[in-house]
Amino acid sequence: MDKVDGTEHYNFKAPADLATLQIIILDTNPLAWATFEKSSSLSFPSALSQLLIFANAHLAFSQSNRCAVIANHIDGVHFLSPADPDTDHRDPGEVDLTPEDLKEIAQQNASKYRVFRLLEDEVRASYRRLIANTDPEAVMTSPNASCLAGALSAALTYINRICFGGTGGRSSGVPGDEKSKVNSAGGKVDETGRTMHAKILVVSVTPDPANQYIPVMNSIFAAQRLKIPIDVCKLRDSTVFLQQAADATGGVYMEPEHPQGLLQYLMVGFLPDHLARQSLILPTKVDVDFRAACFCHKKVLDVGFVCSVCLSIFCEPPEGAICSTCQVKLDATPLENLNKPVVLPPKKKKKKKAIDSLPESGVASAADSPAPAE
Amino acid sequence: MADSDEDFVLSSSGDDRPKGKGGASGSRRPTRKSKRPDGAPAPGATKREKWEDIQRSWDNVVEGADGSIAGTVIGLLEATKRKRLLRDTTPIQRGIIRHLVLILDLSSAMLEKDLRPTRFLLTLRYARDFVTEYFEQNPISQLSIVGMHDGLALRISDMGGNPADHLTALQEKAFTVEPKGASSLQNALEMGRAELFHTPTHGTREILIIFGALSSSDPGDIHDTINSLVEDRIQVRIVGLAAQVAVCRELVMKTNDGDDSGYGVILDEGHYRELMMAATTPPVTTAEEKSVPSLLMMGFPSRMVEKHESFCSCHSNLTKGGYICPRCTAKVCFLPTECPSCGLTLILSTHLARSYHHLFPLKNWVEVPWSEAHASSHCWSCQTPFPTNQSQTSPTKQKPKPKPATLAPPPATGTSNGTKPAGSSEKGQKQPQQPTQRYACTNCKTHFCIDCDIFAHEILHNCPGCQSLSEEKIKARANLWPPNTVDGASSANGDPTSSMRTQVAEATKMLENSKIAPGSSMEVDS
Repeated sequence: MDKVDGTEHYNFKAPADLATLQIIILDTNPLAWATFEKSSSLSFPSALSQLLIFANAHLAFSQSNRCAVIANHIDGVHFLSPADPDTDHRDPGEVDLTPEDLKEIAQQNASKYRVFRLLEDEVRASYRRLIANTDPEAVMTSPNASCLAGALSAALTYINRICFGGTGGRSSGVPGDEKSKVNSAGGKVDETGRTMHAKILVVSVTPDPANQYIPVMNSIFAAQRLKIPIDVCKLRDSTVFLQQAADATGGVYMEPEHPQGLLQYLMVGFLPDHLARQSLILPTKVDVDFRAACFCHKKVLDVGFVCSVCLSIFCEPPEGAICSTCQVKLDATPLENLNKPVVLPPKKKKKKKAIDSLPESGVASAADSPAPAE
Repeated sequence: MADSDEDFVLSSSGDDRPKGKGGASGSRRPTRKSKRPDGAPAPGATKREKWEDIQRSWDNVVEGADGSIAGTVIGLLEATKRKRLLRDTTPIQRGIIRHLVLILDLSSAMLEKDLRPTRFLLTLRYARDFVTEYFEQNPISQLSIVGMHDGLALRISDMGGNPADHLTALQEKAFTVEPKGASSLQNALEMGRAELFHTPTHGTREILIIFGALSSSDPGDIHDTINSLVEDRIQVRIVGLAAQVAVCRELVMKTNDGDDSGYGVILDEGHYRELMMAATTPPVTTAEEKSVPSLLMMGFPSRMVEKHESFCSCHSNLTKGGYICPRCTAKVCFLPTECPSCGLTLILSTHLARSYHHLFPLKNWVEVPWSEAHASSHCWSCQTPFPTNQSQTSPTKQKPKPKPATLAPPPATGTSNGTKPAGSSEKGQKQPQQPTQRYACTNCKTHFCIDCDIFAHEILHNCPGCQSLSEEKIKARANLWPPNTVDGASSANGDPTSSMRTQVAEATKMLENSKIAPGSSMEVDS
């Protein structure tokens, strides 16, 4: 995008040896998955196991890498891993099993790398618990329910805790602070005070939550500020929000053509960490739609009018020059010139002046500072 | 003893620093002379001058009965962190489109080393941060940088909306200048005034001065300049690095309708940064005549990708891709900007969205008393466990207190170790010793830790709880502890801002719906 939106100062200059926290935001809307399965033959269980392989691959890169899974469910956001410490940790699917069965399962899993097993067990158990607590009627009434803004917010606050020690990347301010940061964290810290890198992967099957525009945008800007890429794996219905999220934060945006091969997309597109990404050409979407729609007729605009107080967008000057949103009487004088052609002479003059002033250096022009009134 | 005094002074400059921002000095006084005779500087105390009377951080630490000070320390830390959060969250009209001139002192006074490494280097470093932060907060605003150097005003960067330009200019012009000579407020103000002269009336006109010197050598009468600043409705803020200067105060008061809160003198590096960054928040629009609202014509260009490089019309650089002005199809490489060929303001819709959090600030969260703390065991969003109430496990006070609006401490009867009663009798209203470290959103009643509180209010501008719970769930939780009307925003019925709020909210809803239209051309539901 551009500099104000932070893309240009999105640089990966941080030292290489920091570990990475991978946050996976997974849509768990059952109805949306059921609809998706019909069209693509990728079922949720298979997608989940492919995601867990992806998470394990991430964990395998480094011992200090971490992973968190957040479910974006119909009734809100739930941490699948790390699981909510309050709740019952038993897997509802294993309640009926006899101790012998459990022992058998444990023996089957005995040769598995412990970190993998812990993550898998936790995610599966929390997911079963989540589904067990879901009201089937609520599922049918909300085919598109999604708490994207909440999931992103939760992911960012969690990152803030894990990667920045709760400081929100603000430590670069006071010179004396940095030393104390190193001490308190007890580990390596880069110049913004982060102890780990982070990236967010959103696996989405639901359309944009239209009523969450502002919160989603706020989350995107926060991610941009913390320099956290939001990767998007959009399995169904392309969305503007997530396109903008990936674009603004420098993440990867993919819409897999063959969802059955989800794992391959995940491994190739989303697995590289911040360092590897510097040397890779990643699949990103280039034509992101940034145009605005006016408040009055909902037309998509190229050129519009914006109220200077509340930033409402209009496709034509409102009647009586009163903003329909904030009822402020707007200054109509600039609008009188609207239908006249754009006048060029001032621009010419400016160019000339610029050429004339070329030889002057900055210091010389300072001498010409406006003379005070005598 | 003289030696120890020396030591106090030296070490306190470092030790005292976080404290300086901390609790109000008023609350410290009583505790100073309280129980710790060993901490008090007994011999020199009587003949100390006021400026020697150093506030010592260890004096307000009250030891618990078990000898632990952990509770107090945590409480103080959280109070420090939270202090800056508690601002008014009533939605107010703010000048979103700003024009600001940043005036940096580059006079010989900046060579002082009272700020590390020097005032000059620290100021430039903060100036860089300021530029970045300013454009993060105000994407459709403009900035210009001026230096006060050797009695003259030195133009560092022109009025413009591109942070990279300003950062380059700072690097090239300001860092290479040796601080020298006197500073001239009048020259700098006149140059700032000249730069702001042609700015449109709907935007704000502001000047922020970083003033290191204690004097100003002016060619004329600065009061004339002040009057013309008032006439041009330019608001001036000043950050003083040394001491309060009368003319600065007058300058700020006159240009801000008699309000001198825009003039601050720094205490230390952290406070300096705080004061400077306070200017990145858009100013509240107070008087009607300050800015005339108007309708701006803006272009929303589309991005294009080219196979081969071409020149952009703004910098004449070879770039691949860029944005095409919808009116004259000139290519610009950077947004927001003014089209160099037809003068149309070009922005992205995301730039507008970035300013919305100034219009709808997130409500302040309230501290949770121990009587309500049982509702949560860990921070909702970052999963950090909360401390449990070790010393107050007596069941009598767990539930029966429904609404302690005044944060009344739990009854101290029946506690075993007596830590809490001691604390509560000393500090009165305040939560004794151990704070709950829980902060609750008044809308969704979710409990958060202090770090999430700060993060949500300063960076995220969302409540993770409100966004994550479905509306039915929030309604179901409506009767839980923090009552909905605790905050000023909802109680402010009747005044004009609230009507504006509802209207803006309605319109935003429309925007939310319509925002979908461009991409998917559907989903404009209900």
